[in-house]
Amino acid sequence: MNQANHSRFPAWSPRALLRNRAFLTVAIVILVWVVAGFAKPGFGSYGHLRYLLELAAVIGLVAIGQTYVVIAGGIDLSVGAIVTVSAVGVPLVALSGDGSGTFAVLIILVAATSIGFLNGLGVAYLRIHPMIMTLAMATFLQGVLILIAGGTAISAQNPLLAWLGNARIIGIPAGVLLWAVVSGAALAVLHATPFGARLYALGANPLASALSGINVQATTMAVYAVSGLAAGLAGVLILGMNGQGYVGIGDPYLLASIAAVVLGGTSILGGSGSYAGTIPGAILLVTITALITVVNASAGWRSILFGSLILLLLLLSGRESQRR
Amino acid sequence: MSSMIRTGDDRLYWRVQGERNRGLMGLFAVVAAFLALYAYLFPGLLSVAGVSKFAQSWLPLALVAMAQAILMLTGGISLAIGATVSLGAVIAATTMSGYFGVAGGIVAVSASGLVIGALCGVIAIRLRLPAIIVTLAASFIIGGLALLILPRPGGAIPGWFSDLLAGNTPAALVLVFLVALLWKLYLATPLGLSLYAAGENPVGAYRAGVPVDAARIAAYAISGLLSTLAGLFIAAQTGSGDPVIGQAFTLNSIAAAVLGGVGFLGGRGTMRGAIAGSLLLSVMINVMFFLGFPPVAQYVAQGLIIIGAVALPQLTARFRRRP
Repeated sequence: MNQANHSRFPAWSPRALLRNRAFLTVAIVILVWVVAGFAKPGFGSYGHLRYLLELAAVIGLVAIGQTYVVIAGGIDLSVGAIVTVSAVGVPLVALSGDGSGTFAVLIILVAATSIGFLNGLGVAYLRIHPMIMTLAMATFLQGVLILIAGGTAISAQNPLLAWLGNARIIGIPAGVLLWAVVSGAALAVLHATPFGARLYALGANPLASALSGINVQATTMAVYAVSGLAAGLAGVLILGMNGQGYVGIGDPYLLASIAAVVLGGTSILGGSGSYAGTIPGAILLVTITALITVVNASAGWRSILFGSLILLLLLLSGRESQRR
Repeated sequence: MSSMIRTGDDRLYWRVQGERNRGLMGLFAVVAAFLALYAYLFPGLLSVAGVSKFAQSWLPLALVAMAQAILMLTGGISLAIGATVSLGAVIAATTMSGYFGVAGGIVAVSASGLVIGALCGVIAIRLRLPAIIVTLAASFIIGGLALLILPRPGGAIPGWFSDLLAGNTPAALVLVFLVALLWKLYLATPLGLSLYAAGENPVGAYRAGVPVDAARIAAYAISGLLSTLAGLFIAAQTGSGDPVIGQAFTLNSIAAAVLGGVGFLGGRGTMRGAIAGSLLLSVMINVMFFLGFPPVAQYVAQGLIIIGAVALPQLTARFRRRP
């Protein structure tokens, strides 16, 4: 266990630091921010950076689950749909009435976790490939959502959501604070608990982990449940920031979460990486989007720029190690 | 592969084919059952016009299912299929009514598909970047290109060409068979022969002298070609181009390929399976439409059927192993 930790966190040295993808991603973010701050007045202002962080918080929350799942050797294509379930679900549940809205949020978080758990059930026991299981789940949820919520936007009014969307604690938005707290917990679970170690083992070699006594099924179900919970939390935050939920609100976060994970240096093949890289990955993604919006270009050019930049960043941080 | 064996031993060839069909029997049965149900609900299907119309709704899905399957057979995957379909549609709609006419349009669409596919392949294979994320980024670039060419739905396809492909002729059905035949021929070429080997065991294949990288990049190019051709057909069907018309095809192509028994890890599955999978998906959508399901309920049913179709063989296999 100690040995494994050692290889994951090599002793500090300049070369090791340069090879550390999480650090590289942070460096790229800082570089982009500094360059953009000089090139574009107003970009580097505190208000703007705070706004970027708020946007990154949502992607970051979704990407917690995605990071866990990818490290464990899977992928979750249902996070977008779960974000929508949560953003549309909270107002629906809240209609039945409770004062602060805490109850509604809790119910929805449980529901989101259960959806993730069902994904895990399919992957672990029915042996369905994660991509198919979660894709089918997303298709299923999309249908159910339209049946329940229809095409209209549903607004939510309750104190908890309002606080989450608007409150500033010593100048820091509540959403960013929530992200910071949850990130801390996510990192701790990933790197300092047996569960975290099991995720790496599972992603590196499922057969070997099963033979060494890891309960593969239980771990798989747990990791997808975590992904559901994280996506649900992100949905609640979006609802708070947006004031209303509608079908399709979570769609952009599916690809964003995968991109953040990969930009953060987590191997899409599983078994390596860390949420520490995903955090700057999410910020980087939001920064790119903001920069492209600043450049006054048509929708087509914006899309091309975004894709090209992701490819470029991939070259810096996302390369798979040479196969032997 | 098949042609080589055929010259040696006829019986062996059919045994290999039978072996490859065995896992697909369940799928073929389900497809047949759905087709029968569809014909029962809609007797008009059993006429030239009925078959033509159905084949026209099926062809684009069949093409993208093949585009996805050829990549999955080599161990890759593409999230850019939908964007590539859109690009094919807008290129067809803008070039065909222009100076070079229909022939020029077909050449432009095919060339763009091949080039874009090959570029994705080179980036993913040569630079050793994960295919899923390269094609994800590519989908933004390709979608952006489509928007640049045609910012809003428009353009035109010559009427006679639309009638030829999507009129009351079974041209679409002929095209499906033609593409399937071309696939058989491709499998007999050196690159086609390398395809399964490169997917099943890349390292072993490389050591045996198989051009693994070339086979994979060729697969990406062909995948791009099939996707833009699907776009061309959709443009002919609707008579114009739409820069976002292909979006749904990315996920549907994966679903069809997986329903057809094509595995994600490479080397597992057959093209006939993928085509049957796309047929199943297509018939399913038509049947639900005729049963009066709201379009929304189709999503729900589609999700459940995909899970069921993939899980069932796993479950039966486990029960068989544990007598």
